[in-house]
Amino acid sequence: MSRERVLIANRGEIAIRIMQACKDLGLDYVVVYTEEDKSSLHVRLAQKENDLKRAYRISNYRDPNEIFSVADQAKCTAIHPGYGFFAENSGFARRATMRTRPLTFIGPRWEVIRDLGSKINTKRLAKELHIPVIPGSDRSIYNEMEAEGVAEELFFLQKEQGIQHPSVLVKASAGGGGMGIEEVSRLDTFRMVYRKIQNYAKRQFGDEGVLIEQCLRDYQHLEVQLLCSSHGEVVHFGTRNCTIQSTGRQKRVEVAPGFDPAVCKYPFDAKGVLDQIVRYSVRMAGHVGYDNIGTWEWIVSRDGSPYLMEVNTRIQVENEISASISRIKGATGPTNLIREQIRVALGDRLGFTQDDVSFKGTSIELRIVAENTNRGFVPWCGTITRFDYLDRPWARVYSHVPRDIPYKIPTEYDPNLALVIIWGQDTEQAKERARQFQRGIVIEGKGMEGENIVTNLDYLYDRIGYILQF
Amino acid sequence: MTDSGKLLSRLADRISYLIDIKGESTWGNLDELQRQVQDLHRSLFEIKEAELYKEIDRIEDRVSFLEDRIARRLTPAEVVNIVRSVQRFTLTDILENVYDSYTELGGEGECNIDPAVVVARATISRKVKNRLYSHQVMVIGHEKGRGEEYRNGGCARPWGNDKALRYMLVAETEGIPIHSFIFTPGAYPIEDYPGAAQQIARNIYAMARLKVPIVSFISEGGSGGAEAIGLSDLRLMASRGYYSVISPEGAAAIEGKIREGEKLPRDLVEHCASQLKITASDNLKLGTIDRIVEEPPLGARREDYGFFRRLRYEMVRATDEVVLRTKNFRAFRAYALKRQGEEKVSVPEDFDLVINWNLTELEIERLLELRSKKYRELGKGFFLKKSRGLGQKFRKAKAIASKGYYELRYGLLRLHHRNVQKVIEEVSGEGSVFFKKVAEPVRAAYDFVFPQPRRPAKVIRPDGPDRRSIFAEEWEPYVSPLANEDRTVTCPNASKYGCMDLWVPDLYGELCGVCPNCGHHFPLEYQWYLKNLFDKGSVQEFNNHIASGNPLGFQGFDERLRRDIRRTGRTSSIITFDARVFGIRLVVAMLIGSFRGGTVGTAEGEKFVRACDIARTTRRPFLAYVHTTGGIRIQEGTLGVVQMPKCTIAVREYIESGGLYIVVYDNNSYAGPVASFLGCSLYQFGIRSSRIGFAGPRVIRETTGKNVPPDYHSAKNALKRGHIQGIWDRRDFRKNLYEALTTMGGHNLYYR
Repeated sequence: MSRERVLIANRGEIAIRIMQACKDLGLDYVVVYTEEDKSSLHVRLAQKENDLKRAYRISNYRDPNEIFSVADQAKCTAIHPGYGFFAENSGFARRATMRTRPLTFIGPRWEVIRDLGSKINTKRLAKELHIPVIPGSDRSIYNEMEAEGVAEELFFLQKEQGIQHPSVLVKASAGGGGMGIEEVSRLDTFRMVYRKIQNYAKRQFGDEGVLIEQCLRDYQHLEVQLLCSSHGEVVHFGTRNCTIQSTGRQKRVEVAPGFDPAVCKYPFDAKGVLDQIVRYSVRMAGHVGYDNIGTWEWIVSRDGSPYLMEVNTRIQVENEISASISRIKGATGPTNLIREQIRVALGDRLGFTQDDVSFKGTSIELRIVAENTNRGFVPWCGTITRFDYLDRPWARVYSHVPRDIPYKIPTEYDPNLALVIIWGQDTEQAKERARQFQRGIVIEGKGMEGENIVTNLDYLYDRIGYILQF
Repeated sequence: MTDSGKLLSRLADRISYLIDIKGESTWGNLDELQRQVQDLHRSLFEIKEAELYKEIDRIEDRVSFLEDRIARRLTPAEVVNIVRSVQRFTLTDILENVYDSYTELGGEGECNIDPAVVVARATISRKVKNRLYSHQVMVIGHEKGRGEEYRNGGCARPWGNDKALRYMLVAETEGIPIHSFIFTPGAYPIEDYPGAAQQIARNIYAMARLKVPIVSFISEGGSGGAEAIGLSDLRLMASRGYYSVISPEGAAAIEGKIREGEKLPRDLVEHCASQLKITASDNLKLGTIDRIVEEPPLGARREDYGFFRRLRYEMVRATDEVVLRTKNFRAFRAYALKRQGEEKVSVPEDFDLVINWNLTELEIERLLELRSKKYRELGKGFFLKKSRGLGQKFRKAKAIASKGYYELRYGLLRLHHRNVQKVIEEVSGEGSVFFKKVAEPVRAAYDFVFPQPRRPAKVIRPDGPDRRSIFAEEWEPYVSPLANEDRTVTCPNASKYGCMDLWVPDLYGELCGVCPNCGHHFPLEYQWYLKNLFDKGSVQEFNNHIASGNPLGFQGFDERLRRDIRRTGRTSSIITFDARVFGIRLVVAMLIGSFRGGTVGTAEGEKFVRACDIARTTRRPFLAYVHTTGGIRIQEGTLGVVQMPKCTIAVREYIESGGLYIVVYDNNSYAGPVASFLGCSLYQFGIRSSRIGFAGPRVIRETTGKNVPPDYHSAKNALKRGHIQGIWDRRDFRKNLYEALTTMGGHNLYYR
């Protein structure tokens, strides 16, 4: 094994995927877990390697002090934050690299995380680079009258475009992940909402800056997957479509590529739009000196105008669908973006260029969650007694739920159970395979009062038919 | 036989008085004498008369001899003992013997909101050519009592000082002079509504421009407690009184770093008493009092009627003098300056003249002017001045020239401009209403036929620049050197709110020293505020040639002063400078804790007053940012104490000129400054996690015997008490300050 030792500061399926990537690269690794997670697969898999202590128990995944002391104890040299937790925390990244016993942070430079982590800053930067952004303020507003002025103008613009129910979004500048956002559909109520968000932002993020944006309703949510290195190389891995989301704006079904004009009809030049957002994303990544894996999130309205929404400076849950449809010239197996991410973070060159990346087929990701889709997607809790599916050569499943013993879903964390990744020659085949795979999944479980498990499997099955459609 | 009994008890009193003064009974065999007197008393009827008187004479001779000996070499510590003796005269004795009649106001004896403070309407009279003339005055003072617990030893509670203030205003309404008598070891250091410091500050602020003559008399002048009723046009002091910044015991505890509960070494207390320069003659030399009222060599006691006669004479004279100084007739003033009766000679029975103590409007103006001038002079010449470079001279010339410029620019021209603007606004306002009436029906009809969304006018605020948070957008303009350490600290609220340990570079960098979970503010050095609060490069310091010195020659203080100068690169605990906040120019006085704990002495007071005056002439807002203040610098004695009224007078004049005086407390702000020129501000704010109060927990425990909860002085409680107006987050300081500058303050600010 190499001298590098990676601390995986995350849980669940992403911990398993990172673990696997490390093994593939010949790197040693260490995982952390909490009391609630002790029966999670990521812990068991790590402990299976008998020779060394690889799993450390901590009290909280969110306490950086504990994570770093484990890193020192286990003599780690690098740290992978996964997604969530510390993935987009520039302070954590900075601490990792600037402490007396530094660790390689597997992710972009902390300065990049900081600068692109601010929606405002991203928006201003995009404007400078002539990249379109959602109409609204491009700086934090601290003044009520000014904010109302902006809102008034946005309502006017929407009326001018003939939008039926115009509305604006009031967002906390420092917020993210759907927190601190509220919609206003009547100007009279604007000030009240504005104050509410301002107070929330102040309490939650210590900065009362607020952003005001037009609320777009009829749109598709697209993403561009980039991989960059510290040697200035920028390569994209195509686009994804993540429009199918729960009411809490949580993604449920994702597809790569972003549009498929061969199957669906679009009221605009779909290929042109995809090329455009890829071009814009690459331009911005080059400009900021982006040096790791990252996702540029876009909104495409019905008239085919793309707007940059935000940049996710981390590996994403759905990264593998982009990997599945791409092939790197000369590579033996399928692309693995997590592996690539770790490699570039440790200082490697990409070793290939954009021309070496080719795309083939369609890939779909289904996120299996124990939740009640008919009742506002409320999470279900209980114990899974059976989890099984039919293995297929064109499907991969990532899950921390064991297939051999019962598993109690911890209530503290994200209720994701498993990710299913399907690949097909084309969109139709992928859809068919997704349906076929879905039918083979068996999940049984009992709740606290002996009731049967509730999952979103039926919901996912229904949605497969709607993918990529405007 | 009864006579001899009386003689004996008088003798016993004299002996115990001597024991009080010496603080020990063994000196000069006083205890033995005491015992002999007691024996005689017991065997009064057994001894022969002749023998008894012989014995009494013998003891009396001995006592007189000892009295003489003590009087010849009275140490400052002994003076303190004289003042504290139960045999010393109190305010009640004065009311009974100096004044002809009196009516106690705001309570009587024990039935009183605060029996430690006595207020009375009193009549004082004088004889002129065998006719009696009387004057009405308001007497305000402390009553120590004779050991009655309810008198609280003359320590005024906040509401006692409030009572004093109320009756000062009554005197002002009725136009009668105030005679204040100071008999206090210090104010009672509690923070009950509205807090000792806040109440004293209100009193000093009111007295700064109270429109009647005030004459004060000090017997026991204990620092802030004394100042609460002590600001006056003429200050008299008893020759055996003391006036000090802190009790000798308190000074000894600080000087000797004596831990709580440990016994204070007696010689250290004596040493401090002499170092603090607390006696009447010392204070006269320092200029902190105007005149000494002579007492008998060992101090006046309850039955020293000669002293009361003298005091009556001195009070009348002093009041006359204050009144006469306001008159324009030279002859009168000449009279005032001619003093009758030297200290050693007995006072005359008759006065030459009757002087009316009522003042006309013009005379009141002059009274206040003189009062201001008097206090502004206090402490001058006791700080150091580094040689003025060319720049300093230039600055002085510029200051003189700028006064006229600002007067013209923001005074005359602005007023004219404002008037024209007002006319235009009124006319155009009426015009648009008229036009609307005509045009509206037409427009409505047009809109009905051709509906069209109307583009709103863009809102641009006429005032104020871009309001951006410096923290969200301008990253790390200045990072505290505290951040250069790879370690974590635990938030003090961790057990309460479950805060995680904080990595120091994060905490003192991006987090601005604030716990992201509970909002606890960790202290940051003052440079952080200099760099982050004001517009970049806008800070321009002035008057840094004024430096702290050691005016009393306090032993060992020079060395400590030098050490702080070396360590901080500063020569006083206050920095005064011009700066800008989002383009608004302001004058700032910053008290910093790293230099002598942010204590205030003559240099600091002078710099503060000058900054205040600059703000007034340039019509800029004035910010006092208190990074930390530990109170008045005890090593400067009463010279430090008088900085309280001095600065308050400057502040009041600034506020009344129509300015804006904002005080922001950070970290720890205690004692004198808070009880005067800081606490008197109409706009006071506390930075989160700061502590504001009069005395620290230890002093409270030692003086009141009570333990206070740990959050007793917290900004939150100061807000609850009504001392401060709000609590500011350090990260919002700049924004809130800008907000305050634009919304608060008087008419005279240059940008109004």
